[in-house]
Amino acid sequence: MELVIKNLTKTYSNKVKALDNVSLKIGVGMFGLLGPNGAGKSTLMRTIATIQSPDAGEIHFNDINVLDDQLSLRKILGYLPQSFGVYPKMSAEQLLNYFAVLKGVSDKKERKELVNQLLEITNLQDVKKKNVDGYSGGMKQRFGIAQLLLNDPKLIIVDEPTAGLDPAERQRFLNVIREVGTNCAVIFSTHIVEDVKELCNDMAIMNGGKILKHIKPAKATKEISGKIWTKSVKRDSLEKAEQEHNVLSSNYNVDNTINIRVYSDKKPGVGFKKTEPQLDDVYFIALKEDQKK
Amino acid sequence: MFLNIFKNEISYWLDRPAFYVYSLIFLFIAVMTSGSAAGLFDSVTVTVGSSRIVNSPFALSGLFAGLSTLVVFLYPSIIGVSVYRDFKSEMHTILYSYPFTKLEYLLAKFFSGIFIVHIIVLLIALGIGLGFNLPGTNPDLLTEFDIKPYFDAYIIYILPNMLFTGAIVFGIVTFTRNISAGFIFVIIILILQGFLVSFGQEQENRLVAALLDPFGDMALDYYTRYWTVAEQNELYIPIKGVFIYNRLIWLSVGLAIFISIYRLFTFSQNAFTFSFRKKDSVRFTKSNFGGITKINLPKIQLSFSNKTKFNLLWRLSNIDFVYIIKSWPFISIVIVGLLLNLVGLFELGNIFGTATLPRTWRMLEAGAPFTLAINICTFLYAGLLIHRSRISNINQLIDTTPTPNWILLGSKFLAIVKMQLVLLSLIMITGIIFQIYKGYYDFQIGLYFYELIVLNLIYYVIWALLSFFVQTLIPNPYLGLFVMIVLLIGIPLTSVAGIEQSIFKYNQGPGFSYSDMNGYGAGLENYFVYKIYWLSLGIVFYILTILFYNRGISTGIKEKFKIAKSRFNGKNPFFLSLFTLLFISIGGYIYYVNNIINVRKSAKEREIETVEWEKKYKKFESYSQPRIVSVNVNVDLFPKSRNVSASGKYVMVNKTKDVIDSIFLNHNRGISTFEFSKENSLVLEDTIYHFDIYKLKEPLIPGDSLNLNFTVKNQPNTFLRNNSPVIYNGTFVNNFTLFPSLGYSGGELRDDKTREKYGLPPNKLKPHPSDSTALGNTYISNDSDWIDFEAVVSTSKDQIAIAPGYLQKEWIEEDRRYFHYKMDSKILNFYAFNSADYQVARDKWNDVNLEIYHHKGHEYNLDRMMKGMKAALEYCSENFSPYQHKQARIIEFPRTSGTFAQSFPNTIPFSETFGFIADVDDSDEGGNDFAFVVTAHEIAHQWWAHQVIGADVLGATMLSESLSEYVALKVIEQVNGKNKMRKFLKRSLDTYLTQRTFETKRENALMYNDGQGYIHYQKGSLIFYALSDYIGEKVLNQTLSKYVDKVAFQSPPYTTSIELVDDLREVIPDSLNYVIKDMFETITLYENRVLKAESKELESGKYQVDMEFRVSKYRNDEKGKMFYGDEERDSIFYKSDDMIKPEYSVYLEDYIDVGIFGDEDNNELYLKKHKITSINNKLSIILDEKPVEVGIDPYNKLIDTNSDDNRKKVESL
Repeated sequence: MELVIKNLTKTYSNKVKALDNVSLKIGVGMFGLLGPNGAGKSTLMRTIATIQSPDAGEIHFNDINVLDDQLSLRKILGYLPQSFGVYPKMSAEQLLNYFAVLKGVSDKKERKELVNQLLEITNLQDVKKKNVDGYSGGMKQRFGIAQLLLNDPKLIIVDEPTAGLDPAERQRFLNVIREVGTNCAVIFSTHIVEDVKELCNDMAIMNGGKILKHIKPAKATKEISGKIWTKSVKRDSLEKAEQEHNVLSSNYNVDNTINIRVYSDKKPGVGFKKTEPQLDDVYFIALKEDQKK
Repeated sequence: MFLNIFKNEISYWLDRPAFYVYSLIFLFIAVMTSGSAAGLFDSVTVTVGSSRIVNSPFALSGLFAGLSTLVVFLYPSIIGVSVYRDFKSEMHTILYSYPFTKLEYLLAKFFSGIFIVHIIVLLIALGIGLGFNLPGTNPDLLTEFDIKPYFDAYIIYILPNMLFTGAIVFGIVTFTRNISAGFIFVIIILILQGFLVSFGQEQENRLVAALLDPFGDMALDYYTRYWTVAEQNELYIPIKGVFIYNRLIWLSVGLAIFISIYRLFTFSQNAFTFSFRKKDSVRFTKSNFGGITKINLPKIQLSFSNKTKFNLLWRLSNIDFVYIIKSWPFISIVIVGLLLNLVGLFELGNIFGTATLPRTWRMLEAGAPFTLAINICTFLYAGLLIHRSRISNINQLIDTTPTPNWILLGSKFLAIVKMQLVLLSLIMITGIIFQIYKGYYDFQIGLYFYELIVLNLIYYVIWALLSFFVQTLIPNPYLGLFVMIVLLIGIPLTSVAGIEQSIFKYNQGPGFSYSDMNGYGAGLENYFVYKIYWLSLGIVFYILTILFYNRGISTGIKEKFKIAKSRFNGKNPFFLSLFTLLFISIGGYIYYVNNIINVRKSAKEREIETVEWEKKYKKFESYSQPRIVSVNVNVDLFPKSRNVSASGKYVMVNKTKDVIDSIFLNHNRGISTFEFSKENSLVLEDTIYHFDIYKLKEPLIPGDSLNLNFTVKNQPNTFLRNNSPVIYNGTFVNNFTLFPSLGYSGGELRDDKTREKYGLPPNKLKPHPSDSTALGNTYISNDSDWIDFEAVVSTSKDQIAIAPGYLQKEWIEEDRRYFHYKMDSKILNFYAFNSADYQVARDKWNDVNLEIYHHKGHEYNLDRMMKGMKAALEYCSENFSPYQHKQARIIEFPRTSGTFAQSFPNTIPFSETFGFIADVDDSDEGGNDFAFVVTAHEIAHQWWAHQVIGADVLGATMLSESLSEYVALKVIEQVNGKNKMRKFLKRSLDTYLTQRTFETKRENALMYNDGQGYIHYQKGSLIFYALSDYIGEKVLNQTLSKYVDKVAFQSPPYTTSIELVDDLREVIPDSLNYVIKDMFETITLYENRVLKAESKELESGKYQVDMEFRVSKYRNDEKGKMFYGDEERDSIFYKSDDMIKPEYSVYLEDYIDVGIFGDEDNNELYLKKHKITSINNKLSIILDEKPVEVGIDPYNKLIDTNSDDNRKKVESL
């Protein structure tokens, strides 16, 4: 099972290059697509999900030529967009039923059982008669997962699903995704590094419509092992430190000092301590390197 | 803050393309409407010829206000949406924390919308002004530019309407957060207004309608209803009384609504919804902490077979269908539509205030207002369904499901068709409910289904197909709806710009209409051909819709085309070419039939032909021709194949003193042969005007006779073309249609300005009756006087064929039925043939056989018609002269041939809707028993047309129509009694006063009338009725009787209105000479009214009535311009201290009824003609009984511009 993306390019009418010659191979398991806001993640995901057409390039999933034969992909696709609405005055049960019909679950009994099971999994059983447009963010996102699973998808695309969820909701969401993602390809876009770290066995970092880095998270941290340094500096000397060192990130400590992380092959200076690399570091290194070009 | 929000809103709109689309459309509509009214398209289509000034203050205010009314369709998306938009974009969460007050916010939002609408209204005004001044408009139709009417219309109509409707729409959309709800309100208010307009046609409802009309149209109508052409051309709209009250009422309603919006609105408010369930509030807590759930989904089978696809299509369409029928816009349209449909059922088809029976075809016809509702629902929901997923932002979920486009789109289409079926079936349901309510149980369910589901549904489906295409291309469903409404209204109007053929106009084509006698007739074939033609184009649009259907996210037109190209595969190219081909070939075929096989003439070409005809042949008008003295014809009618073939023989005599060397023969476009009994040569055969000239070898000397033997038959009927007057059941064809006639036959352009354009001299219309050289022909025929008549008519075996005359013999030969009729006395050269499957009702009056040939099932009013025949025969033979025939027959014909009756010698064809299915209400409140009245009128024509016939000069119809209608009134009077006549007289008066305002040429006095119905029927009957009151029925009838004796069956020169009026003058006392002048020689109108009526009981137990009333009269010239006398000294005036302007009158020495009425059934306590010499009058009368009401001319015998103020209730002191 493999999703192959070749030389995908898309330029919007406002001249923004959302996809710039993107090529990727994605296999079974969780694939994290990491990138800042506006990196082109959603465009890529929508293009894979057949609802946006690229200017050039190819997408293949197993033996399906996705751009030519959209319907075949849709049969095995589960897609959860970054944000979505629902028809007003329809309950979760009705809407799921509606989507089940749309997704080809034609047997009425099967459909009922399936919908019921999904409501159970997503913990929406108690509120299944309530209108979805009145749901909280987390409930709606769970509903999104439920509709995604209706057709037993082989390719799952979820676009920034954890944004705005409370910790419990987020955790629960990630667990469900993880659970279903064991034997199919899941593409998971996020700007939260944490999500990828916890979940993904493969990842890519994207910005400005380009794939900056495609790497396994474990390998990524190993690569920079021993090259991440940290130091606590005063607020006043932050600018100086930033000029002198390759500062990846900085954050306040409680005592108003600032903790900076620096990427360097050797110890950058006095007071720096070597520290364990994190996935965040990989992310910032990739973005920084891209910026330099 | 107000200004900031306001400016922000305005700049928002100025950035919207939709705003420019709306503006351009309205500018275009305004330019086209005013331009075409001013004759802009005269070069491509018929000339606009009229005495009406199209940019007169009255016309202009109406046009400006009318077009501005159309802007209400934009209110929901301009005014209504302004607050809702902040919610939709979730701006309100930020906005409402800003420091401004609710009032500032609401006012700014409301008035910014109003401001944007003003820009469009301003463009309409500009467009109108521009349209009138475009090069190519006709200056004769225009007056000088004047800004006041624009202001009047703006201040009085447009602004108040805008504030009132705007406030409601603003409130509705703000609270429901639903643009459609606002839109529905607009539709409902337009429908209600339409209802008020038709409600206000009845005189007694006019004040109520004037106050209630939210747009003020009926309030203006209240004052201008009787405005003559001159008044319409010159006067400014009257801003007074009821009109001002109406405006105040609706402005206050608007203000009240705005205040309630202000009070109800909160910055944190939720949408307003209707809920009939009790709201429980429950505290929700979360219990979903982490946890791993084992996911073990049941193994399901996904199916994508064709069977499941069709199942899916059906299921999805049901979901969309339920969405439609549960939505408020739909529900409100249905409720309002149903109510109006029911109300319409009560009103529609009423003739003279009398209902017709609720036949099923009538129920179907009453569903016509529903057409708009169904179309608007179709346009609206096509847009809402197409854009629904995008509006709800659920489209990304739906678009990634493996449902093919054709199912997503098809299900929506199917849902719309289901909705149309539901709406159509509502017409049936209301119809049946109404029929049951009326106690009428002949439901004709099959007819309901056939017309609604077969005939009507195609029409709506064709619109649905186009609206799917339009709504797919236009991202905003309300803009799409607007475009569709413009198309729906605009497409048929392209005729004024010279686009006349239906094949160029989407979903246009021949219609259909049903009659009990003839069903849908032969026209349905054409209907279906055109509908299949448009359906093919509709399907082409639908395939394009599939190609351009927006799935997923696409940006830019280029991408849309790219996607469309990639979708152009599979069966799409095949079907697209198939239906394009079908469309083009059917269209081509229709074009071929209409333009190449047959000569199609545009309205413009016909106008030019009329000009050419006159230029070429008018010179022969004065050539002497022989007169037809005997007609003997054989007519074979073939109802099944709808053909006619006939042969005949005319005997003609040279009655002139001249030698006649040529015969001018007019004939129809059928296939004919002509053979004269004298040697001749055909010197001219005109195949365009069908006018032939035969030169006789030996001229016809005075007194000599000549025979013409001819055969005629129709051109064969072909597919799409009907060339014959014969129909399946109920043929009614007269001699002018079938047979040749002699001499130049007239038929010239009437409008002098148009004539001038073509270099023709002004048209006299008809000669004046004093022109003694013009009295040689009757107004019925110009090639004969009185003839002998004999006919053999044959038809199919199951039908009866009728012609004037007495049945000599009837036989059947080879499956055909023959009837031989022969007239025993001379008749006018005016006869007709009828054929249908008739039942016959028979009766006798003295020794006259009475027969009614009627359709089986139409027996309802046979008794009334028999009674009408007898009453009129009785009245006329007693008062005027003996009846010249020994039979009188009424013959029914289908409503599809018209709603009228026509009197031929002893034979009266009578439309099925003009009496046969009248539902007469005999109570006092009931309307006119027109089955009885019309019969009496037609029978009276056997005297007043078939004994006495006027020369073909002005005023001729006074001698036939006015006198027949006078007989009808007298016969009603005999049945109902004198004091029940007011309702008939008032109705006639109202019809006269209303109809004369539509006059486009001129209105002459009764005795010089040009043949207008409102003069010779309504005014004529009122005048003869009043005259009989002044000089006595007996004196009048004796005079008429003597007149009949003098002129009946006369030879030329024929009698004229002058002759009769002179006879009348002889019997009229000198004191009443003014009556002749007022009634016959001039157009004179009274303004009589009671100002005060008081009574007190005297000590003697008697009552003293004190009344004050005014009498004044004025005259109109032929354009309706008011004047008070030929010279200054002929007029008088009155002015009391409290009057601003004096009141004028023509010099008065008039005798007018003063009446006082009592409690008991309004019984007459006092009725006497008083001599009135001044405008203001006071009277004191002592009575024995208690008075309730007084009146000046209380029965409305006189022509009075306000018949409602002639009576007044008495105040007891």
